[in-house]
Amino acid sequence: MGGHDPFGRLVLAEWTKLRSVPRWMMALAAVVGLTLLVAVFDKASDQGSPAEEGEPLQKPDFSDQFHFVHQPLTGDGSIVAHVVSQEDSHEWAKAGLIMKERLEVGAPYAAVLVTPDHGVRMQWDFDHDVAGSDDGAAPRWLRLTRSGDVVTGYESTDARNWQQVGEVDLDDLPSTVEVGLFVASPDAVVITRQYGSNSVNETPTRGEAVFDNVSVEADGSSPSPADGEWSDYDSADEPVFRGSSTESDGVFTVMGSGDIAEVRRPFGDDLVELSLSGAAVGMLAAAALGALFMTAEFKRGMIRTTFAASPGRGRVLAAKAIVLGGATFAAGLVASVIAFLVSQATLRHTSRDPGLPELSLANLTVLRAVVGTAVLIALVAVLSLAVATIVRHTALAIPLVVLPLLVPSLVEGGLPLSVENWLTRLTPAAGFAVQQTITRYDTAIAPLVGLGVLAAYVAVALAVATLLLRRRDA
Amino acid sequence: MVAAMDATIEVRGVHKRYGRTTAVDDLSFTVRPGQVTGFVGPNGAGKSTTLRVILGLDAPDEGTALVGGRPYRTLRTPLLHVGALLDATAVHPARRARDHLGWMAQSNGIPGARVDEVLELVGLTSAARRRAGGLSLGMLQRLGIAGAVLGDAPTLLFDEPVNGLDPDGIRWIRGFLRSLAAEGRAVLVSSHLMSELEDTADHLVVIGRGRLIADTSVRDLVAAASKDQILLRTPGRSEAMTLLANAGATVTAGDHGTLTVSGLPAERVVALLGERGLPVMEVTQHRASLEEAYMELTRDALDYEAVALEES
Amino acid sequence: MPRRAPRLRRAVQAEWTKLRTVPSLPWLLAVAVGLTVLGSAGALASVDTSQCPTPSECFEDTTKLSLTGIWLGQAAVVVLGVLAMGSEYGTGTIGSTLAATPSRRLVLLAKAVAVSAVALVAGVLGVLGSLAAGRAILPGNGFTSANGYEPLSLADGPTLRAAAGTVLYLGLVALLSLGVATAVRDTAGAITGVLLLLYAFPIVAGLVSDPAWQRRLARYGPMEAGLSIQNTTRLDDLPIAPWPGLGVLATYAGVALLSGLLLFQVRDA
Repeated sequence: MGGHDPFGRLVLAEWTKLRSVPRWMMALAAVVGLTLLVAVFDKASDQGSPAEEGEPLQKPDFSDQFHFVHQPLTGDGSIVAHVVSQEDSHEWAKAGLIMKERLEVGAPYAAVLVTPDHGVRMQWDFDHDVAGSDDGAAPRWLRLTRSGDVVTGYESTDARNWQQVGEVDLDDLPSTVEVGLFVASPDAVVITRQYGSNSVNETPTRGEAVFDNVSVEADGSSPSPADGEWSDYDSADEPVFRGSSTESDGVFTVMGSGDIAEVRRPFGDDLVELSLSGAAVGMLAAAALGALFMTAEFKRGMIRTTFAASPGRGRVLAAKAIVLGGATFAAGLVASVIAFLVSQATLRHTSRDPGLPELSLANLTVLRAVVGTAVLIALVAVLSLAVATIVRHTALAIPLVVLPLLVPSLVEGGLPLSVENWLTRLTPAAGFAVQQTITRYDTAIAPLVGLGVLAAYVAVALAVATLLLRRRDA
Repeated sequence: MVAAMDATIEVRGVHKRYGRTTAVDDLSFTVRPGQVTGFVGPNGAGKSTTLRVILGLDAPDEGTALVGGRPYRTLRTPLLHVGALLDATAVHPARRARDHLGWMAQSNGIPGARVDEVLELVGLTSAARRRAGGLSLGMLQRLGIAGAVLGDAPTLLFDEPVNGLDPDGIRWIRGFLRSLAAEGRAVLVSSHLMSELEDTADHLVVIGRGRLIADTSVRDLVAAASKDQILLRTPGRSEAMTLLANAGATVTAGDHGTLTVSGLPAERVVALLGERGLPVMEVTQHRASLEEAYMELTRDALDYEAVALEES
Repeated sequence: MPRRAPRLRRAVQAEWTKLRTVPSLPWLLAVAVGLTVLGSAGALASVDTSQCPTPSECFEDTTKLSLTGIWLGQAAVVVLGVLAMGSEYGTGTIGSTLAATPSRRLVLLAKAVAVSAVALVAGVLGVLGSLAAGRAILPGNGFTSANGYEPLSLADGPTLRAAAGTVLYLGLVALLSLGVATAVRDTAGAITGVLLLLYAFPIVAGLVSDPAWQRRLARYGPMEAGLSIQNTTRLDDLPIAPWPGLGVLATYAGVALLSGLLLFQVRDA
């Protein structure tokens, strides 16, 4: 086995070294044990609480709230308007043109709109979103055209040259639909500091936009829309969220709150992330193992034997990294799979967010989080290996690796969210982002990007370690 | 230096097990002042364990080890009573040689000047300010010896003191050990190499597999191993061998055409050879070397015996 | 026979010499102080009255905020405390130490004295530096007397208590580390263990779902309870009061030292 391949033999030798020291195998077991600590703890303390009194609130999956200045349109036709200005009430505030099947919450629609920070977009049926021009903000011309069941959205800067933003085939569109101007502005997440900690709230925002040059045209034989007979519709129940509109000389000023989109859950519990969170503790053992695996060589000059047996020092480090990474990945995978399975039931009980979907390992996102956690642990171990090679003392290596990984979670709540996010993005702790499965208000960095940051730290550390290994005397 | 009576080491019925291995089994011996006692045995025989028990580092399962009539752990200034060198490499690599002796001196109230004294004694004055990690094995050994004599103690224990010293150093330490004993101190030197104790030790305690094999003076041991052995030189070697073997002697060929004969008195050997007309060039009573005596003694007690390589 | 100094004094002298004659000591001291002050400065710089509903409604515990850096600095003190015993086993000098001072109790006590003295010095320097940073940075971030925040001053009772308590906290962390290292005899294991004890409690507390357990972990976690001493406002709302909190940490340290001592006395060297 690996007989003719010198590097293969080296890897085998390093694996033999690893598994022959009982303390190191114990550290590997500790990785699993500590990661499971939280999950098991939760399970043990969970009294199996009975289901909530009554049925959990069935929250719909979408939000359909906006202020609509509308007219009926029968048959094919189009609507054009010039969005003069839009207030920056929220990065996703929406102002534009919409065709809605009927005036009912949840009715199908197609809309073309401008936003303050996300350009021009065409959206329909709550979960479809097509981007137009990136820098498209008010002032901008918009047009929505209906032909049969097909609705097409256009944008233009000068009303002469139109670019198509998107096109959708809405099945069974009735001959008469409501068409017009709309404004919406989603709730904003506001973080205030008080009593030394962050309090997070969602507050409604009020969007406002000014339109002019509004015109509706019906094709051919359809009855032409009556000019000037616009109506207001607002789907908000509570008066405080109701919008309004005023018109003078063809200039419409429309105000509205809410959003027409899939519900975003900025405060939702990320059950997958929570179940895997024990990795933050388990990785301490991985860091210890990584450091020991290298410093053991420096003690009593064993490293001279190792280097005599294989003069390619960089390859020795590579072999160690492969063996260590493989072993900790395996341990981490065992731990995260068990943690996920064990925690699911408990977390669903105690979560404040009822009605969450069943999660399983068959789900790709969940799988990414679980496997990613194992990768995370392996990366921490290899990082520790590299750092120990550089500083040559376990006592120094372990804190050097562990502290940057823990700092962001330690400042959580005590310092502003922006600081925590900044620390998360810049430190190896970014790797924990791989465990996220939903986007929350406090999401600092995308999952795989975060893992990439950690991987970059590891790569740099390994490079420096290899350099120093080659240069220094053993 | 404290009074001579305080110097004696007494080991009585010490039994020490590590897990399932018995390291020391019912060991009893005495180390007296005024002589160098060699503590010998094959590797793994239990020498280091015994020394650690004497110094109170490891607790015996049974038995006692007393220094000057008291257990080591009860001494308030132990370095003034017992000086020891167990492991010369057990120093902090970043600490300077002088500081390594410095803290030891402070712990027992020994004045700082003594540190410089002992460093000079062992010839390390020039290396005093060097960090221990930069010292060679020989220098570390000297440092360890310096530490042992720091307290001017009447009892001294050395574990493998010759390890790592060059021939000059070996000669020096032999003389040093003898002079310490001559001052009336009890000196215990442990080693697994008999040859290095040959000219140094007066008394021997031989152990094997944790048990006492011999507790005797060097002279008696050598004599016992040498008895009945005659060194013979004769031209007709092979003929003589056959002749003597037939007469019941054990004959082995030695260097330079010699024969070692045991089992027959010298007169009988000469007579037998004379009858055959074999001239006898030389007849001497063979004096076994300490090495040979020791090998003979511990042959059965070897745990780790190397196998002779096949001669091709 | 010349009269010798009492055994404890000799042992402490020897332990102090051991500590000061390795190059790592000044570094560890510098890192402990540096990380504390830098951490505090960073925390101070990031908090501003504009983040509050209104500048006078911040209700910020500015003393506690300016002592935040201890989170970081304590890691260096953990290393210090662990190495005081751990390096003896790592280098094998434990044999020489016990040959020179056979009383295990005395050895551990002397190490405890030496190590806590260094930790206390680090604490004083770190705390003074942190408070100075507070005085410098806070007014610029809106924490002025106009908004109800007096400049930090040791003349203020609660601030003095928080400062002195933080210094003691650092000493206790050093003793905890020494105890664990004595019990475990292994540097890497001891450092990992103490870091786990200190940092894992708050992490686990944030992750368990049961609020009762969250509060329990906050009350009995050594770091969380110990740092309760830094609070100068809203003392009734704390999971555990300041001095009892420090007492919790002291208990951990005591248990660690005691079990370390027992094992030290009973085991072979």
